[in-house]
Amino acid sequence: MWKNVLSALISVVLLTTFAFVVWVVATHDYRWEAIAPYRNNLFSGWLVTLLVSVVSLALSVFVGVLLTAGQLSGDRLSPFLCRTYVEVIRGTPLLTQILIGYYLIANAIDWHSSLGVGIVVLSCFSGAYLSEIFRGGIESIPRSQWLSARAIGLTGAQTYRFVVIPQAVRRVLPAAAGQFANLVKDSSLLFVISVHEFTMQAREVNANSYATFEAYLPLVLGYFLLTFPISLLSRHLERRYRYEH
Amino acid sequence: MSIEIRGLTKHYGATRAADGIDLVLGDSVQVLALIGPSGGGKSTLLRLVGGLERPDEGAIRIDGAEMPRDEESLRRWRRQNGFLFQSFNLFPHLTALENIILPLVEVHGWKRGEADARAREVVARFGMGTHLEKHPAQLSGGQQQRIALARAMAHEPSLLLLDEPTSALDPEMKAEVLDLIEELCQAGQRIILSTHEMGFARGSADAVVFLGAGQLVESGSAADLFDRPRSATVEAFLSKVMKW
Repeated sequence: MWKNVLSALISVVLLTTFAFVVWVVATHDYRWEAIAPYRNNLFSGWLVTLLVSVVSLALSVFVGVLLTAGQLSGDRLSPFLCRTYVEVIRGTPLLTQILIGYYLIANAIDWHSSLGVGIVVLSCFSGAYLSEIFRGGIESIPRSQWLSARAIGLTGAQTYRFVVIPQAVRRVLPAAAGQFANLVKDSSLLFVISVHEFTMQAREVNANSYATFEAYLPLVLGYFLLTFPISLLSRHLERRYRYEH
Repeated sequence: MSIEIRGLTKHYGATRAADGIDLVLGDSVQVLALIGPSGGGKSTLLRLVGGLERPDEGAIRIDGAEMPRDEESLRRWRRQNGFLFQSFNLFPHLTALENIILPLVEVHGWKRGEADARAREVVARFGMGTHLEKHPAQLSGGQQQRIALARAMAHEPSLLLLDEPTSALDPEMKAEVLDLIEELCQAGQRIILSTHEMGFARGSADAVVFLGAGQLVESGSAADLFDRPRSATVEAFLSKVMKW
């Protein structure tokens, strides 16, 4: 009884808020013609963000897997180093990492592609978060599963391949999908090294047209178009890997 | 089976799970039952004999072969045996059939077709033929344990190690699983099992070992140990567990 009342109340509050927001945003008096001349800039910015997202996503998985392997490895040094890396990256602002990565480190090795450096820094940043998600997933597999794998004579590598990873994948999917969506949105910080991505283009459109909302509102749709497919894919994979019926 | 255990010791922190166990059994013993109180060292002894854990000290010989120490040879040792756990430990992401096929293909190098046929044969023999495509979560405890037994048996292990195979089951399922194990005993399978089923130990084991506090308290034929226990510990234990 109370549960139904509560859930009805939550639905009403959410629907009202949502309707209010949509109404306010939709009935605003927009001057779309002010940004019309810049629509190609916005689109090219969106394409850059798409490129940065796709490449960093793949690279960050690679970085995350390496860090996880390092943390779980048997020796003493590499877990310590990986742990330190993860703590430093997670504990410091991405903005600073991008600046240091581009103006100090990349400069020192004479690499001047802001797009390339941006992708690498983002991947290293996101990889640190992913490695913690992966490690949590692997460590959540019960000891009895490892013991059982040992008992049937699997090697360590076979245990990971046939027993641990297939079970861990499903457990890490929701958190990993969240991190991927963050990665897409974090790419907007690359404006500090003048990567002409989506948000940077919107800032420029705003500066030129003085139409703030008209310049920034397309970001809502543009980023959602990138993050929503990640959500859908994650849900699809979760269903595919489901085994407790 | 010929088993020779000398000074076997295994500590977990301050706990002496195996504390200098000596045991010699000859070929006349086909089925060995380990009994005794919980925490007395039954599971530890099984895991040590099965090569799942390394002893701190001591040696194990089975059929004249000394248990190796390095991981690679230890893995070969494990592959000759079959191991069954109290809590089944099937892989939840695989179907019953895949659970049995996996070790046959990946560990024992069978072709997939042969492994499939063998798995189906064993499962049918265990009366589980209609559950092949189900995942463990869809099976009852007794059914899961029968699949786990099929997995431990499919490669025809030279020695089957059963760690309290029925402790997690309700009485009806207990009986089903014990029937199967009894059938394996009749078929000549060599088995070491730890159990709280005194009736089963008495009826099916050629030799019984009583373990308490990590030490071997008494060993002998089932008839000797159950009817004429020599130590007061065993007598007290038996009078308690046989009372009801």
